[in-house]
Amino acid sequence: MSALVDDVIALLGALAWYNLCLTVSAIAIALPVACLFAVARLSRHPFVYYPITAYVNVLRSSPLLMIMFWAYYTGPMITGAPTSAYTAALIALAAFEVAYFTELVRTGLQSIAAGQRDAALAVGLRPSQAMRLVILPQALRRMLPSLLSQSIIAFQDSTIASVIGVTDIFATTNIISAREQRPIELYTALAVIFFVLCYALSRLVRMLEARVNARTAGAG
Amino acid sequence: MQSLDWLLLFRAPYGERVIDAVLTTLELSLISWVFALAIGVVAGLLREAPLRPVRLAATAFVEVFRNVPLLVQLFFIYFVLPRALPLPLRQTLFAFGWEFVSAVLTLSLYTGAKIAEHVRSGLNAVGVGVRQAAMSTGLTWIAAQRHVVAPLVLRMIVPGLTSEFVTVFKSSSLAMTIGVVETSYLTQQLGLQTFHWIEASTVGTVVYLLCAWSVAGFMSLVERWTYVPGLLRRGAAP
Repeated sequence: MSALVDDVIALLGALAWYNLCLTVSAIAIALPVACLFAVARLSRHPFVYYPITAYVNVLRSSPLLMIMFWAYYTGPMITGAPTSAYTAALIALAAFEVAYFTELVRTGLQSIAAGQRDAALAVGLRPSQAMRLVILPQALRRMLPSLLSQSIIAFQDSTIASVIGVTDIFATTNIISAREQRPIELYTALAVIFFVLCYALSRLVRMLEARVNARTAGAG
Repeated sequence: MQSLDWLLLFRAPYGERVIDAVLTTLELSLISWVFALAIGVVAGLLREAPLRPVRLAATAFVEVFRNVPLLVQLFFIYFVLPRALPLPLRQTLFAFGWEFVSAVLTLSLYTGAKIAEHVRSGLNAVGVGVRQAAMSTGLTWIAAQRHVVAPLVLRMIVPGLTSEFVTVFKSSSLAMTIGVVETSYLTQQLGLQTFHWIEASTVGTVVYLLCAWSVAGFMSLVERWTYVPGLLRRGAAP
Protein backbone atom coordinates (compact mmCIF):
# COMPACT_ATOMS: atom_id res chain seq x y z
CA MET A 1 0.00 0.00 0.00
CA SER A 2 2.73 2.44 0.94
CA ALA A 3 4.39 1.74 -2.41
CA LEU A 4 1.23 2.93 -4.11
CA VAL A 5 1.28 6.09 -2.00
CA ASP A 6 4.86 6.71 -3.15
CA ASP A 7 3.80 6.15 -6.74
CA VAL A 8 0.93 8.60 -6.44
CA ILE A 9 3.31 11.18 -4.98
CA ALA A 10 5.62 10.63 -7.96
CA LEU A 11 2.65 11.11 -10.30
CA LEU A 12 1.59 14.31 -8.57
CA GLY A 13 5.17 15.57 -8.80
CA ALA A 14 5.22 14.97 -12.54
CA LEU A 15 1.80 16.62 -12.81
CA ALA A 16 2.96 19.76 -11.02
CA TRP A 17 6.37 19.92 -12.66
CA TYR A 18 5.36 19.18 -16.25
CA ASN A 19 1.61 19.35 -16.94
CA LEU A 20 0.84 22.30 -14.70
CA CYS A 21 3.92 24.33 -15.71
CA LEU A 22 3.32 23.51 -19.35
CA THR A 23 -0.33 24.58 -19.20
CA VAL A 24 0.25 27.75 -17.18
CA SER A 25 3.17 28.94 -19.34
CA ALA A 26 1.31 28.10 -22.55
CA ILE A 27 -1.70 30.12 -21.39
CA ALA A 28 0.52 33.01 -20.23
CA ILE A 29 1.98 33.16 -23.74
CA ALA A 30 -1.26 32.47 -25.60
CA LEU A 31 -3.60 34.94 -23.92
CA PRO A 32 -1.83 38.23 -24.82
CA VAL A 33 -1.20 36.99 -28.36
CA ALA A 34 -4.85 35.92 -28.64
CA CYS A 35 -6.00 39.40 -27.59
CA LEU A 36 -3.94 40.92 -30.41
CA PHE A 37 -5.18 38.30 -32.87
CA ALA A 38 -8.80 38.84 -31.82
CA VAL A 39 -8.49 42.55 -32.59
CA ALA A 40 -6.89 41.60 -35.91
CA ARG A 41 -9.80 39.23 -36.66
CA LEU A 42 -12.11 42.25 -36.40
CA SER A 43 -9.86 44.44 -38.53
CA ARG A 44 -10.99 45.65 -41.97
CA HIS A 45 -7.49 45.55 -43.47
CA PRO A 46 -7.21 42.41 -45.64
CA PHE A 47 -3.47 42.07 -44.88
CA VAL A 48 -4.28 41.83 -41.19
CA TYR A 49 -7.57 39.96 -41.35
CA TYR A 50 -6.75 37.13 -43.78
CA PRO A 51 -3.43 35.85 -42.37
CA ILE A 52 -4.78 35.79 -38.82
CA THR A 53 -8.05 34.18 -39.89
CA ALA A 54 -6.11 31.55 -41.83
CA TYR A 55 -3.89 30.89 -38.80
CA VAL A 56 -6.89 30.40 -36.52
CA ASN A 57 -8.69 28.18 -39.01
CA VAL A 58 -5.68 25.95 -39.74
CA LEU A 59 -4.61 25.55 -36.12
CA ARG A 60 -8.15 24.79 -34.96
CA SER A 61 -8.50 22.15 -37.67
CA SER A 62 -5.26 20.27 -36.91
CA PRO A 63 -4.73 17.82 -34.07
CA LEU A 64 -2.48 19.07 -31.27
CA LEU A 65 -0.35 15.97 -31.84
CA MET A 66 0.40 17.09 -35.40
CA ILE A 67 1.38 20.56 -34.17
CA MET A 68 3.68 18.90 -31.63
CA PHE A 69 5.33 16.96 -34.49
CA TRP A 70 5.90 20.24 -36.31
CA ALA A 71 7.38 21.85 -33.22
CA TYR A 72 9.52 18.90 -32.16
CA TYR A 73 10.65 17.28 -35.41
CA THR A 74 9.96 19.45 -38.46
CA GLY A 75 10.58 22.95 -37.11
CA PRO A 76 14.06 22.18 -35.71
CA MET A 77 14.92 20.44 -39.00
CA ILE A 78 14.11 23.61 -40.92
CA THR A 79 15.86 25.99 -38.52
CA GLY A 80 18.73 23.65 -37.66
CA ALA A 81 18.34 24.41 -33.94
CA PRO A 82 17.34 21.31 -31.94
CA THR A 83 14.55 21.90 -29.42
CA SER A 84 13.96 19.99 -26.20
CA ALA A 85 10.73 18.02 -26.01
CA TYR A 86 9.46 20.32 -23.27
CA THR A 87 10.10 23.51 -25.25
CA ALA A 88 8.53 21.99 -28.35
CA ALA A 89 5.46 20.93 -26.37
CA LEU A 90 5.21 24.41 -24.89
CA ILE A 91 5.43 26.07 -28.30
CA ALA A 92 2.87 23.67 -29.76
CA LEU A 93 0.40 24.01 -26.89
CA ALA A 94 0.73 27.81 -26.88
CA ALA A 95 0.30 28.03 -30.67
CA PHE A 96 -2.75 25.74 -30.45
CA GLU A 97 -4.38 27.64 -27.60
CA VAL A 98 -3.78 30.99 -29.32
CA ALA A 99 -6.21 29.85 -32.02
CA TYR A 100 -8.90 28.85 -29.52
CA PHE A 101 -8.44 31.87 -27.25
CA THR A 102 -8.57 34.21 -30.27
CA GLU A 103 -12.04 33.00 -31.15
CA LEU A 104 -13.21 33.28 -27.54
CA VAL A 105 -11.83 36.80 -27.10
CA ARG A 106 -13.27 37.84 -30.47
CA THR A 107 -16.74 36.68 -29.38
CA GLY A 108 -16.24 38.61 -26.16
CA LEU A 109 -15.21 41.77 -28.01
CA GLN A 110 -18.27 41.51 -30.23
CA SER A 111 -20.53 41.10 -27.21
CA ILE A 112 -19.54 44.52 -25.89
CA ALA A 113 -22.09 47.03 -27.10
CA ALA A 114 -20.93 49.47 -29.78
CA GLY A 115 -22.04 52.33 -27.51
CA GLN A 116 -19.08 51.60 -25.25
CA ARG A 117 -16.64 52.33 -28.06
CA ASP A 118 -18.54 55.44 -29.16
CA ALA A 119 -18.55 56.73 -25.60
CA ALA A 120 -14.82 56.07 -25.22
CA LEU A 121 -14.09 57.91 -28.47
CA ALA A 122 -16.39 60.75 -27.44
CA VAL A 123 -14.40 61.42 -24.27
CA GLY A 124 -11.28 61.76 -26.42
CA LEU A 125 -9.62 58.34 -26.33
CA ARG A 126 -7.85 57.14 -29.46
CA PRO A 127 -9.34 53.96 -31.05
CA SER A 128 -6.40 51.89 -29.74
CA GLN A 129 -6.92 53.28 -26.25
CA ALA A 130 -10.65 52.60 -26.42
CA MET A 131 -9.88 48.99 -27.27
CA ARG A 132 -7.17 48.55 -24.63
CA LEU A 133 -8.71 50.49 -21.76
CA VAL A 134 -12.46 50.16 -22.27
CA ILE A 135 -13.53 47.27 -24.50
CA LEU A 136 -10.89 44.60 -23.85
CA PRO A 137 -11.14 44.67 -20.01
CA GLN A 138 -14.92 44.27 -20.15
CA ALA A 139 -14.71 41.56 -22.82
CA LEU A 140 -12.12 39.58 -20.85
CA ARG A 141 -14.23 39.76 -17.69
CA ARG A 142 -17.23 38.51 -19.60
CA MET A 143 -15.21 35.78 -21.32
CA LEU A 144 -13.45 34.61 -18.15
CA PRO A 145 -15.60 31.46 -17.71
CA SER A 146 -15.05 30.34 -21.34
CA LEU A 147 -11.34 31.11 -21.12
CA LEU A 148 -11.07 29.03 -17.96
CA SER A 149 -13.04 26.13 -19.50
CA GLN A 150 -10.65 26.19 -22.44
CA SER A 151 -7.73 26.24 -19.98
CA ILE A 152 -9.06 23.07 -18.33
CA ILE A 153 -9.11 21.43 -21.77
CA ALA A 154 -5.54 22.67 -22.34
CA PHE A 155 -4.54 21.09 -19.03
CA GLN A 156 -5.99 17.75 -20.16
CA ASP A 157 -4.34 18.16 -23.56
CA SER A 158 -0.95 18.71 -21.94
CA THR A 159 -0.75 14.90 -21.52
CA ILE A 160 -0.25 14.70 -25.31
CA ALA A 161 3.26 16.08 -24.71
CA SER A 162 4.15 12.58 -23.50
CA VAL A 163 3.96 11.36 -27.11
CA ILE A 164 7.00 13.46 -28.09
CA GLY A 165 8.86 12.38 -24.96
CA VAL A 166 8.05 14.80 -22.14
CA THR A 167 8.07 12.79 -18.90
CA ASP A 168 4.77 14.22 -17.72
CA ILE A 169 2.27 12.47 -15.46
CA PHE A 170 1.10 10.18 -18.26
CA ALA A 171 4.59 9.08 -19.29
CA THR A 172 5.48 8.62 -15.60
CA THR A 173 2.44 6.37 -15.16
CA ASN A 174 3.54 4.26 -18.13
CA ILE A 175 7.05 3.94 -16.73
CA ILE A 176 6.00 3.02 -13.19
CA SER A 177 3.28 0.68 -14.41
CA ALA A 178 5.73 -1.17 -16.63
CA ARG A 179 8.25 -1.41 -13.79
CA GLU A 180 5.89 -2.56 -11.07
CA GLN A 181 3.49 -4.55 -13.25
CA ARG A 182 0.30 -3.19 -11.79
CA PRO A 183 -1.39 -1.08 -14.40
CA ILE A 184 -4.86 -1.28 -12.85
CA GLU A 185 -3.95 0.68 -9.71
CA LEU A 186 -1.74 3.18 -11.52
CA TYR A 187 -4.04 4.05 -14.39
CA THR A 188 -6.95 4.27 -11.97
CA ALA A 189 -4.93 6.67 -9.83
CA LEU A 190 -4.09 8.69 -12.94
CA ALA A 191 -7.74 8.91 -14.00
CA VAL A 192 -8.87 9.80 -10.47
CA ILE A 193 -6.27 12.57 -10.14
CA PHE A 194 -7.44 14.19 -13.37
CA PHE A 195 -11.10 13.70 -12.59
CA VAL A 196 -10.87 15.28 -9.13
CA LEU A 197 -8.88 18.29 -10.39
CA CYS A 198 -10.83 18.94 -13.56
CA TYR A 199 -14.24 18.31 -12.02
CA ALA A 200 -13.50 20.68 -9.12
CA LEU A 201 -12.20 23.33 -11.54
CA SER A 202 -15.19 22.97 -13.85
CA ARG A 203 -17.58 23.41 -10.87
CA LEU A 204 -15.70 26.60 -9.95
CA VAL A 205 -16.03 27.83 -13.53
CA ARG A 206 -19.76 27.12 -13.44
CA MET A 207 -20.14 29.17 -10.25
CA LEU A 208 -18.13 32.00 -11.79
CA GLU A 209 -20.28 31.82 -14.90
CA ALA A 210 -23.45 32.23 -12.85
CA ARG A 211 -21.93 35.30 -11.17
CA VAL A 212 -20.77 36.88 -14.43
CA ASN A 213 -24.20 36.24 -15.99
CA ALA A 214 -25.97 37.79 -13.03
CA ARG A 215 -23.72 40.87 -13.24
CA THR A 216 -23.96 41.38 -16.99
CA ALA A 217 -27.68 40.59 -17.25
CA GLY A 218 -28.63 44.12 -16.16
CA ALA A 219 -25.87 45.85 -18.14
CA GLY A 220 -27.04 44.37 -21.47
CA MET B 1 19.19 19.85 -44.57
CA GLN B 2 18.46 17.29 -47.26
CA SER B 3 16.56 18.27 -50.37
CA LEU B 4 12.82 17.88 -50.49
CA ASP B 5 11.44 14.73 -52.09
CA TRP B 6 7.69 14.99 -52.40
CA LEU B 7 7.40 11.93 -54.64
CA LEU B 8 8.52 9.87 -51.64
CA LEU B 9 4.91 10.01 -50.48
CA PHE B 10 3.70 8.22 -53.61
CA ARG B 11 6.55 5.77 -54.23
CA ALA B 12 6.67 2.25 -52.82
CA PRO B 13 6.67 1.38 -50.01
CA TYR B 14 5.14 4.57 -48.65
CA GLY B 15 2.46 5.24 -51.27
CA GLU B 16 0.24 2.39 -50.14
CA ARG B 17 0.92 3.07 -46.48
CA VAL B 18 -0.20 6.67 -46.83
CA ILE B 19 -3.50 5.56 -48.39
CA ASP B 20 -4.03 2.84 -45.75
CA ALA B 21 -3.33 5.27 -42.93
CA VAL B 22 -5.71 7.90 -44.29
CA LEU B 23 -8.41 5.25 -44.74
CA THR B 24 -7.86 4.11 -41.14
CA THR B 25 -8.28 7.69 -39.91
CA LEU B 26 -11.53 7.97 -41.89
CA GLU B 27 -12.89 4.62 -40.67
CA LEU B 28 -11.93 5.27 -37.06
CA SER B 29 -13.45 8.75 -37.02
CA LEU B 30 -16.63 8.02 -38.95
CA ILE B 31 -17.51 4.82 -37.04
CA SER B 32 -16.81 6.58 -33.73
CA TRP B 33 -18.92 9.54 -34.82
CA VAL B 34 -21.98 7.37 -35.49
CA PHE B 35 -21.72 5.71 -32.07
CA ALA B 36 -20.92 9.01 -30.36
CA LEU B 37 -23.99 10.67 -31.82
CA ALA B 38 -26.24 7.86 -30.55
CA ILE B 39 -24.59 7.81 -27.12
CA GLY B 40 -24.60 11.59 -26.84
CA VAL B 41 -28.24 12.10 -27.78
CA VAL B 42 -29.46 9.33 -25.47
CA ALA B 43 -27.26 10.40 -22.55
CA GLY B 44 -28.20 14.04 -23.04
CA LEU B 45 -31.92 13.33 -23.05
CA LEU B 46 -31.61 10.95 -20.09
CA ARG B 47 -30.12 13.73 -17.97
CA GLU B 48 -33.66 15.04 -17.75
CA ALA B 49 -35.26 11.61 -17.19
CA PRO B 50 -38.11 11.42 -14.67
CA LEU B 51 -36.19 8.76 -12.71
CA ARG B 52 -33.47 10.02 -10.39
CA PRO B 53 -31.06 7.03 -10.70
CA VAL B 54 -31.17 7.33 -14.51
CA ARG B 55 -30.45 11.05 -14.28
CA LEU B 56 -27.56 10.44 -11.91
CA ALA B 57 -26.08 7.70 -14.09
CA ALA B 58 -26.23 9.90 -17.19
CA THR B 59 -24.66 12.83 -15.33
CA ALA B 60 -21.91 10.62 -13.88
CA PHE B 61 -21.11 9.26 -17.36
CA VAL B 62 -20.84 12.73 -18.84
CA GLU B 63 -18.74 14.17 -16.00
CA VAL B 64 -16.30 11.24 -15.91
CA PHE B 65 -15.65 11.23 -19.64
CA ARG B 66 -15.39 15.00 -19.86
CA ASN B 67 -12.97 15.42 -16.98
CA VAL B 68 -10.40 12.73 -17.75
CA PRO B 69 -7.96 13.35 -20.64
CA LEU B 70 -8.69 11.33 -23.77
CA LEU B 71 -5.21 9.79 -23.70
CA VAL B 72 -5.84 8.44 -20.19
CA GLN B 73 -9.23 7.02 -21.22
CA LEU B 74 -7.65 5.42 -24.26
CA PHE B 75 -5.02 3.61 -22.21
CA PHE B 76 -7.56 2.66 -19.60
CA ILE B 77 -9.85 0.99 -22.12
CA TYR B 78 -7.09 -0.50 -24.26
CA PHE B 79 -4.78 -1.64 -21.51
CA VAL B 80 -6.61 -1.94 -18.18
CA LEU B 81 -10.08 -3.12 -19.22
CA PRO B 82 -8.88 -6.42 -20.78
CA ARG B 83 -7.15 -7.27 -17.47
CA ALA B 84 -10.58 -8.06 -16.10
CA LEU B 85 -10.78 -10.93 -18.61
CA PRO B 86 -9.14 -14.34 -18.26
CA LEU B 87 -5.84 -14.65 -20.13
CA PRO B 88 -6.94 -16.77 -23.15
CA LEU B 89 -9.84 -14.43 -23.85
CA ARG B 90 -7.52 -11.44 -23.53
CA GLN B 91 -5.11 -12.95 -26.06
CA THR B 92 -7.95 -13.52 -28.53
CA LEU B 93 -9.00 -9.91 -28.03
CA PHE B 94 -5.54 -8.60 -28.89
CA ALA B 95 -5.26 -11.00 -31.82
CA PHE B 96 -8.42 -9.54 -33.33
CA GLY B 97 -7.32 -5.92 -33.52
CA TRP B 98 -8.32 -4.77 -30.06
CA GLU B 99 -6.39 -1.52 -30.61
CA PHE B 100 -8.81 -0.38 -33.33
CA VAL B 101 -11.90 -1.53 -31.42
CA SER B 102 -10.80 0.09 -28.18
CA ALA B 103 -9.96 3.31 -30.03
CA VAL B 104 -13.49 3.35 -31.50
CA LEU B 105 -14.94 2.60 -28.05
CA THR B 106 -12.98 5.38 -26.36
CA LEU B 107 -13.62 7.98 -29.05
CA SER B 108 -17.35 7.16 -29.05
CA LEU B 109 -17.69 7.46 -25.28
CA TYR B 110 -15.54 10.61 -25.05
CA THR B 111 -17.28 12.38 -27.93
CA GLY B 112 -20.65 11.05 -26.75
CA ALA B 113 -20.16 12.76 -23.39
CA LYS B 114 -19.37 16.04 -25.11
CA ILE B 115 -22.40 15.74 -27.41
CA ALA B 116 -24.55 15.03 -24.35
CA GLU B 117 -23.52 18.44 -22.99
CA HIS B 118 -24.59 20.12 -26.24
CA VAL B 119 -27.90 18.23 -26.10
CA ARG B 120 -28.43 19.39 -22.55
CA SER B 121 -27.85 23.05 -23.37
CA GLY B 122 -30.19 22.56 -26.34
CA LEU B 123 -32.80 21.19 -23.94
CA ASN B 124 -32.37 24.24 -21.72
CA ALA B 125 -32.83 26.51 -24.71
CA VAL B 126 -35.98 24.69 -25.85
CA GLY B 127 -37.40 24.83 -22.33
CA VAL B 128 -39.62 22.37 -20.46
CA GLY B 129 -42.83 23.87 -21.89
CA VAL B 130 -42.50 21.99 -25.18
CA ARG B 131 -42.21 18.63 -23.47
CA GLN B 132 -45.05 19.41 -21.08
CA ALA B 133 -47.26 20.41 -23.99
CA ALA B 134 -46.37 17.18 -25.82
CA MET B 135 -47.06 15.08 -22.74
CA SER B 136 -50.37 16.85 -22.13
CA THR B 137 -51.55 15.60 -25.51
CA GLY B 138 -51.09 12.07 -24.16
CA LEU B 139 -47.55 11.21 -25.27
CA THR B 140 -45.37 9.32 -22.81
CA TRP B 141 -42.11 10.91 -21.64
CA ILE B 142 -40.11 8.80 -24.08
CA ALA B 143 -42.43 9.54 -27.00
CA ALA B 144 -42.42 13.26 -26.23
CA GLN B 145 -38.60 13.33 -26.09
CA ARG B 146 -38.28 11.27 -29.25
CA HIS B 147 -40.88 12.85 -31.50
CA VAL B 148 -41.10 16.42 -30.25
CA VAL B 149 -38.13 17.52 -28.16
CA ALA B 150 -35.24 15.68 -29.83
CA PRO B 151 -35.99 16.92 -33.38
CA LEU B 152 -36.01 20.49 -32.08
CA VAL B 153 -32.89 20.11 -29.96
CA LEU B 154 -30.90 18.41 -32.72
CA ARG B 155 -31.67 21.26 -35.11
CA MET B 156 -30.57 23.79 -32.53
CA ILE B 157 -27.25 22.16 -31.76
CA VAL B 158 -25.99 21.62 -35.32
CA PRO B 159 -23.17 24.22 -34.88
CA GLY B 160 -22.03 22.48 -31.69
CA LEU B 161 -22.20 19.10 -33.40
CA THR B 162 -20.09 20.45 -36.26
CA SER B 163 -17.26 21.30 -33.91
CA GLU B 164 -17.51 17.88 -32.20
CA PHE B 165 -17.49 16.16 -35.60
CA VAL B 166 -14.29 18.02 -36.53
CA THR B 167 -12.86 17.14 -33.12
CA VAL B 168 -13.42 13.40 -33.67
CA PHE B 169 -11.00 13.47 -36.59
CA LYS B 170 -8.48 15.43 -34.54
CA SER B 171 -8.88 13.18 -31.50
CA SER B 172 -8.49 10.04 -33.61
CA SER B 173 -4.81 11.02 -33.95
CA LEU B 174 -4.25 9.85 -30.37
CA ALA B 175 -5.03 6.27 -31.44
CA MET B 176 -1.43 6.09 -32.65
CA THR B 177 -0.33 5.81 -29.01
CA ILE B 178 -1.96 2.37 -28.72
CA GLY B 179 -0.63 1.25 -32.09
CA VAL B 180 -3.40 2.03 -34.58
CA VAL B 181 -1.64 2.79 -37.85
CA GLU B 182 -3.49 5.96 -38.80
CA THR B 183 -2.34 9.26 -40.24
CA SER B 184 -0.34 10.51 -37.24
CA TYR B 185 1.31 7.14 -36.76
CA LEU B 186 2.31 7.14 -40.41
CA THR B 187 3.59 10.71 -40.19
CA GLN B 188 5.90 9.81 -37.33
CA GLN B 189 7.04 6.56 -38.97
CA LEU B 190 7.71 8.31 -42.25
CA GLY B 191 9.68 11.02 -40.49
CA LEU B 192 11.71 8.68 -38.31
CA GLN B 193 12.50 6.26 -41.15
CA THR B 194 13.30 8.67 -43.98
CA PHE B 195 14.05 11.86 -42.07
CA HIS B 196 11.90 13.71 -44.60
CA TRP B 197 10.04 15.46 -41.80
CA ILE B 198 8.77 18.36 -43.88
CA GLU B 199 7.03 16.08 -46.38
CA ALA B 200 5.77 13.79 -43.61
CA SER B 201 4.23 16.47 -41.41
CA THR B 202 2.86 18.34 -44.40
CA VAL B 203 0.96 15.31 -45.68
CA GLY B 204 -0.34 14.57 -42.17
CA THR B 205 -1.50 18.13 -41.60
CA VAL B 206 -3.10 18.39 -45.04
CA VAL B 207 -5.07 15.18 -44.44
CA TYR B 208 -6.50 16.51 -41.18
CA LEU B 209 -7.26 19.91 -42.70
CA LEU B 210 -9.12 18.32 -45.61
CA CYS B 211 -11.11 16.17 -43.17
CA ALA B 212 -11.98 19.18 -41.03
CA TRP B 213 -13.01 21.34 -43.96
CA SER B 214 -15.07 18.58 -45.58
CA VAL B 215 -16.89 18.01 -42.30
CA ALA B 216 -17.53 21.73 -41.89
CA GLY B 217 -18.88 21.92 -45.45
CA PHE B 218 -21.04 18.84 -44.99
CA MET B 219 -22.46 20.09 -41.71
CA SER B 220 -23.39 23.45 -43.17
CA LEU B 221 -25.39 21.50 -45.77
CA VAL B 222 -27.01 19.53 -42.94
CA GLU B 223 -27.86 22.79 -41.25
CA ARG B 224 -29.56 23.99 -44.43
CA TRP B 225 -31.45 20.71 -44.96
CA THR B 226 -32.78 20.52 -41.43
CA TYR B 227 -33.64 24.19 -41.18
CA VAL B 228 -37.33 24.84 -40.59
CA PRO B 229 -38.25 28.39 -41.61
CA GLY B 230 -39.61 30.46 -38.78
CA LEU B 231 -39.04 27.77 -36.18
CA LEU B 232 -35.59 28.72 -34.97
CA ARG B 233 -33.40 31.69 -35.46
CA ARG B 234 -30.35 30.87 -37.55
CA GLY B 235 -27.30 30.37 -35.39
CA ALA B 236 -29.46 30.56 -32.28
CA ALA B 237 -27.76 27.50 -30.83
CA PRO B 238 -26.12 27.92 -27.45
